[in-house]
Amino acid sequence: MIENIKCDHCHLEFGKDVMIKDDEHYFCCGGCQGVFHLLSENGLDSFYDKAGSTKLSRPVEEFEDSITFDTPSFYDKFVSKDKDGFSEVSLIIEGIHCSACVWLNEKALGQMDGVIEAYINHTNNKAKITWSDSNVKLSQIIDMIRAIGYDAFPYDPSIQEVRADKARKDYYMRLAVAVFGSMNIMWIAVAQYAGYFTGITQEIKTILNTAEWILSTPVLFYSGWNFFKGSYYGIKNHIVNMDILVATGATLTYIYSIYITLNNSGEAYFDSVSMIITFVLIGKFLETLSKKSAADTLDVMSKNIPSEISVIENENIVLKNVNDVEIGDTIMLRLGERAVIDGILLEGESNFDESSLSGESEPILKKVGDKIVSGTTSIDGAIRYSATKDFTHSTLSNIVSLLESAIAKKPRIEKIANRLSEHFSLAILLASFATFLVWFFGGSGFEVSFMIAISVIVIACPCALALATPVASLVGFSLSLKKGILFKESAMLESMAQAEVIVFDKTGTLTNGKPSVIKHEQYENIDKKLIYSLTSSSTHPISNGVSEYLKDESNELLALNNLEQVRGRGIKASFNKDRLLGGNALFLKEHGIIVDDSGEGSHFFVAFKNTLVAKFTLKDELKDDALNSVERIKKFGLLTIILSGDREESVKEVASALGIKEYHYGLSPEQKSEFVQKLQQSKKVVMAGDGINDILALANADIAIAMGSGSDIAIEVSDVVLLNNSLVTLADSFAIARRTYSLIKQNLAISLLYNAITIPLAMMGYIIPLIAAISMSFSSLLVVGNSLRIKWKY
Amino acid sequence: MDSSVIAMMIGVSTFLGAIALLAFLFAVKNGHFDDSKKMMNSVHFDDEEALNDAVEKEKKREKLKEKNYRPE
Repeated sequence: MIENIKCDHCHLEFGKDVMIKDDEHYFCCGGCQGVFHLLSENGLDSFYDKAGSTKLSRPVEEFEDSITFDTPSFYDKFVSKDKDGFSEVSLIIEGIHCSACVWLNEKALGQMDGVIEAYINHTNNKAKITWSDSNVKLSQIIDMIRAIGYDAFPYDPSIQEVRADKARKDYYMRLAVAVFGSMNIMWIAVAQYAGYFTGITQEIKTILNTAEWILSTPVLFYSGWNFFKGSYYGIKNHIVNMDILVATGATLTYIYSIYITLNNSGEAYFDSVSMIITFVLIGKFLETLSKKSAADTLDVMSKNIPSEISVIENENIVLKNVNDVEIGDTIMLRLGERAVIDGILLEGESNFDESSLSGESEPILKKVGDKIVSGTTSIDGAIRYSATKDFTHSTLSNIVSLLESAIAKKPRIEKIANRLSEHFSLAILLASFATFLVWFFGGSGFEVSFMIAISVIVIACPCALALATPVASLVGFSLSLKKGILFKESAMLESMAQAEVIVFDKTGTLTNGKPSVIKHEQYENIDKKLIYSLTSSSTHPISNGVSEYLKDESNELLALNNLEQVRGRGIKASFNKDRLLGGNALFLKEHGIIVDDSGEGSHFFVAFKNTLVAKFTLKDELKDDALNSVERIKKFGLLTIILSGDREESVKEVASALGIKEYHYGLSPEQKSEFVQKLQQSKKVVMAGDGINDILALANADIAIAMGSGSDIAIEVSDVVLLNNSLVTLADSFAIARRTYSLIKQNLAISLLYNAITIPLAMMGYIIPLIAAISMSFSSLLVVGNSLRIKWKY
Repeated sequence: MDSSVIAMMIGVSTFLGAIALLAFLFAVKNGHFDDSKKMMNSVHFDDEEALNDAVEKEKKREKLKEKNYRPE
């Protein structure tokens, strides 16, 4: 037994024999070794103390040329100048695991000559780098990031993101002022209420009133500014919204209280003014807190589309901006690169991962003359192909532009509280006005009538109404997060509860999305470690599936010689001079071994010393508990449909296994989205998917649910992300959404009931200030308490 | 007499509170809370070296600024 030891850079464990020994240090690969030496040469080795035993990702050894970062087109798009004439760029750093990684990047970049500042956000790993162009080039900075084992992508810190940040900051500040004002007014109010019952001199009362006046002024006019703005737009569009109720209620109360204070008699209501503003502002703040920004979506999209690609001109490789590539140009696609322009293969062959477009989980071998579709990735070979379309007409670019328009006009299910508040606000304002008229013409003086009219507005303070939805949503939101469901916007819970149809993608959503071994036939005895060593040398999905299967019983690597990957066929190696083969039937036949590859699924054959020793049958299987979860979702009364780009047989098999009656196969991404749009005309649609082939449909659906393992773009486009990819969680998310929605309705009922009791009392003039304040807080507490009940069941 | 003491006490305590509020608003405005993890994380590495680095950074900026503006 060979002991496992940790690599001195990335801290991953491997058998001692496969490690690179370097003095007293051990490394798993040349990449780790390189980074380790680089850090110690630059005096940065304290990084390892800071990182502790955190496992790092192994440094990638091959990168696209960083020279693209110095091109004028890149500068145009991503680089800006600050006030001192230094260049600034925003990057997303990949591979950051811990705060020590942030420290290392900041430190290593900061030590470079010409780099003025490297700031990395600990929360989202976005970096802002400022440098002087005359001393250092951006490509050198990127090379440094890569040399220490990370990678960087540029992103455009679009105006939208800046604006979202600014709006959030603005809320923080207004809220801080509101809370400060209200809390101070409350302790002054305690003295006033005590005085109300035990007696207080008018002199002291005026002092207290004046203090409250001073404190409530910034609350009303600074913190409450949004309500005035909202009322202005409401009036302009002839809508009586909640903002109008809040603004008029607070302002009238404020003016009345000033009159009381100056007149030295009666009760001032400054505490109500600040409380109304603060509570409603908190409600609004909770809503914005969990709103997703569309800005992030666009960042990830531009990361996936390279802005420059390699074109061959006169036998030289030149970098061209994708927009400048013309039809007929010869494009070079390296291993692992994604094609961004459609074309026809000229030279070389490679397996292509088309799962992002068709949902087909097994790679497809492309030979000379085959079509290359943009958006697909070359897995195991470098090819040259001729462009048949320009960038704007290529598949990928079409999808992106369709996506942008879909995000822009995404339907929003109207929130129940918004519908309610419109009628509510109008009713209260009218009731208050009527109260004033009745009392005034009933013979009471102007002062008394006005005070009673004001008390109607104050008592009807929509605090509870404003908190009803956000608090319940937020509780549901945090609960679902614990279960591995990320709602990007807590208001989505409400929308999801009203959904009527759920549309599933097949590959990756209902199935695991990668082939796994369903049958293993052993013909001859062989050390399984040999097979494991062979399969784990390849990144092909089939060999990954076999390694995964064998991992449990034999996860040791043996030293194989002459490892060779044969594209579209398999892997060849020798062990102690005996030949070891692993691959498909064609591959073995070419080496003189006849095998039987009939039967369903994909096959992986292993031959040792020219005899067949084992056969693995692999299939993309249904996820665990798929059946149970689909049953549960059906019980909620949802119609289930499968949309897939896959072949009929495989879609049909999945559909019948899950008891889903409606299924559609062979659909392109556009067809999927058309289907969803058509469905939407009569129903509210939830779409669950994971791949790039689903993003259009996801962007169009009322609610989009993405698998956490799905493509970045799918996750960004979606409203809900299932972090653990499980269908059980999907069913849970519906359960939580429904529970939250029913509690929102209860909350609204509570606040309306409260108003139904108190408003008539106020109209009759029975409400004294203390009762108004207590009942106002009580109804809000009731709503918050009721919302917490969401957690009881789980 | 009584009431002026109360007025003064309310005034002073509110004023002290307002100073804290203004400090908070100043911090929010200058991006102190933009990165929610930074405060807890960077505490680990907050030492003399970090302080030196910050000073060096300022110096470097000034130096490069001069160079940038040098007439050519």
